[in-house]
Amino acid sequence: MLAYTAKRLLTLIPTLLAASALVFLFVHLIPGDPASILLGDTATAEEVAQLTREMGLDQPLWVQYFVWLGNVLQGDLGTSVFFKTPVLSVIAAGAETSILLACMTMVWIVLIGVPIGVLSATMHGKWVDQVTSGGAMLAASIPTFWLGLYLIFIFSVGLGWFPSSGFPSLSDDGGLANLRYLVLPSLTLAAPNAALIIRLVRASMLDVAREDHVRTARAKGLHPANVAIKHVFRNALIAVAAAFGFTFAALISEAVVTETVFSLPGIGRLVVQSILRRDYPVIQGVILVIVVLYMVINLLVDLAYARLDPRVSLK
Amino acid sequence: MKLSRAIRSFALATALTTLSTSVWAEGVLRYATVGEPPSLDQQVITSDLTTTIAHHIFEGLYTFDASNAPVPLLASGETVSEDGKTIVISLRQGVKFHNGEEMTSADVLASLKRWGEFGSRGSLLFDHVESVEATGDYEITLNLKEPFGPWKNLMAFINGGPAIYPASVMDGATKEPISPDNYIGTGPYKFGSWDPNRKIELVRFDDYVSPEGEADGYGGKRVAEFDALNFLPVPDAGTRIAGLRAGDYDYAESIPGDLYAELDADENVTTILNGGPIFGLVFMNSKVGPLKENFALRRAIQSALNKTPALQVAIGPEGLWRANGSFAPEGNVWYSESGTENFSAGKTEEAKSAAAESGYNGEPIKFMVSTNYPFHYDTAIVYTKQLAQAGFNIDLQVYDWATLIEKRAQPDQWDMFFTHHGFVPDPILISVMNDTYPGWWATPEKQELKNRFTASSDEAERQEIWSEIQALIYEQVPTMKTGDVYTYNIASPKLQGMGEATLIWPSFWNVSK
Repeated sequence: MLAYTAKRLLTLIPTLLAASALVFLFVHLIPGDPASILLGDTATAEEVAQLTREMGLDQPLWVQYFVWLGNVLQGDLGTSVFFKTPVLSVIAAGAETSILLACMTMVWIVLIGVPIGVLSATMHGKWVDQVTSGGAMLAASIPTFWLGLYLIFIFSVGLGWFPSSGFPSLSDDGGLANLRYLVLPSLTLAAPNAALIIRLVRASMLDVAREDHVRTARAKGLHPANVAIKHVFRNALIAVAAAFGFTFAALISEAVVTETVFSLPGIGRLVVQSILRRDYPVIQGVILVIVVLYMVINLLVDLAYARLDPRVSLK
Repeated sequence: MKLSRAIRSFALATALTTLSTSVWAEGVLRYATVGEPPSLDQQVITSDLTTTIAHHIFEGLYTFDASNAPVPLLASGETVSEDGKTIVISLRQGVKFHNGEEMTSADVLASLKRWGEFGSRGSLLFDHVESVEATGDYEITLNLKEPFGPWKNLMAFINGGPAIYPASVMDGATKEPISPDNYIGTGPYKFGSWDPNRKIELVRFDDYVSPEGEADGYGGKRVAEFDALNFLPVPDAGTRIAGLRAGDYDYAESIPGDLYAELDADENVTTILNGGPIFGLVFMNSKVGPLKENFALRRAIQSALNKTPALQVAIGPEGLWRANGSFAPEGNVWYSESGTENFSAGKTEEAKSAAAESGYNGEPIKFMVSTNYPFHYDTAIVYTKQLAQAGFNIDLQVYDWATLIEKRAQPDQWDMFFTHHGFVPDPILISVMNDTYPGWWATPEKQELKNRFTASSDEAERQEIWSEIQALIYEQVPTMKTGDVYTYNIASPKLQGMGEATLIWPSFWNVSK
């Protein structure tokens, strides 16, 4: 497994290079430039040109790319044009929120999605299955911004149980109790994803339930719950594991709407705002981190396959 | 067992923290903003959000009282020579910067020089300045090339204006905004921290030396009642409203117009109108394209537009807008009806024939608008429809704001673009008066009137000349005004000292809860 992991890590390098070149190219193809935005309405063309020169943005694109790449290889993602602080610290500030939000959301997804999926599969065709399947469809269909605003209306404005928005760092006053700021956003994010997991667990378990080894287990007289958990659910997990992996990555990079509704200082909002401000170093840095995240999660999912399914060999 | 203990501990910590946070929050003002400002460098940034935050940190030599008249702030007074060309400004003594140093004329001189060369509005004054010098530890002398009436208004307008920084900060400062570690001013609150996407925190400056006199507009006594001001970016309007109702914010800005009646009737919410209206502007290209120097065609376009439906669509409730063609709101000293008969004619057929007479033959007119500001886009959609009905071939180009800013600097990329303007206390500050602002209106007629307008120090004479300039704007149409828009904010009823309307930007000295 070690050799396989090392080989997979090596293949990350060309993928990362290609991704970084594409990101760099696309970012610089967008009209608008940071100098104009930074200097504002009243700047003259000469002043914009001067700042563009000072920022090195007048160089040919390939020169800019290799300068940036050289710095990245030394662990320097550059300095944010907007915040005037190192890109790494800007990303780190957003990463705390995004990772905690994704983790809490995953907890809800597992706690809600898996048991209901198992229940739905084991009660296949009965009213329980119909209710849970219908509920899952409803949860998947509700727009997150709508659900988020209603959760705020009920639990913040109405009941006063949770804060409506924002997220102070765990290192700020409040410490771990600041996690309460993430309860409503994580539930908002969890709803459509838990629905997906319910459907996936249900479908996978029904597929596995039709296989010969399950019929054999039942024929041996094993308890139905034992068959459902040990023989059906465990084998169904193989497909679900991949979904968990990519859901986690997507929760970090694609939670823009939820982060906007709840005013969370996460990675998704950071990248969108950086695009609007043409903060090239931050855009490039964040997307690079997201690409790495996806690739690492992909690798972890592959490694998890081998643990879940002994038939899978890693070469 | 262990799990239940952990859950109990978390619940207890949450309860204790909630309690302690609510006590702590009494001394903190929590202001929900629409986003983050580009920088807090008040001299070079004209963003309203920048000023909303930064005018608690930085102060200028003058500011405005409630009647929009300039009054001393860091200055203690001035003498103007008989020929109007030498202005000697005396400074208040004992004023401290946030770094503990005392403000002297060296700091003021360095600040004025940087603002004059690089400040957003600095050239408006410094084009008329021969020299500026420190003529004493607490005295600054401005030597003008010719008498320049609006000098004090320009000094008092802090948005893109001459905020006073320590000379050490101004050393080497250019057009590029200074970094946050240099946010050192003399205001009642000092810069604390900027946590990206989370908050900007200002903390009370305990050594603040306030101007004397009763509080009046932005003038008079300033007392920092809060321990800290937290400006929290909350981009979603629904969340800003819900957060204020839930008690998570004390103040929230830029609330949608269609909710005004509901919020105004809610006793748990105080609505605060912004006293200075903003107004949409459509600029026309004076450098290239079909609109260049074709004033007849521009007037034809102007006469095709009926502004009322655009305001109804873009803003909503009638209490929040006025179809006012004057560039100053009614009641203001600069209000004038001169030329406004052409403000919102909506004469489709007459516009069609006037366009034909002007030589227009249906070539596309490139009209740029941004979706970043919904009221820009909504207004442009109504205008485009009205212009199409009058036979104009409008090529509506929709961009994000950053792209529009880049394109409008390139004369060959557009014929008209939509933007908006904040309330300004002197017409010299309106962007159309700036010859280098995109649109590049600099006709001889404008220059002649502008020279007379700036040379006069007599207020009545200046108001008369401004009326002539406004008439010229309606004749040469370098820009078309949409109408006055009164934005509003909401506040917790617990806030004391806010008043019913803001002068221009909300201020939180002399405010408590």
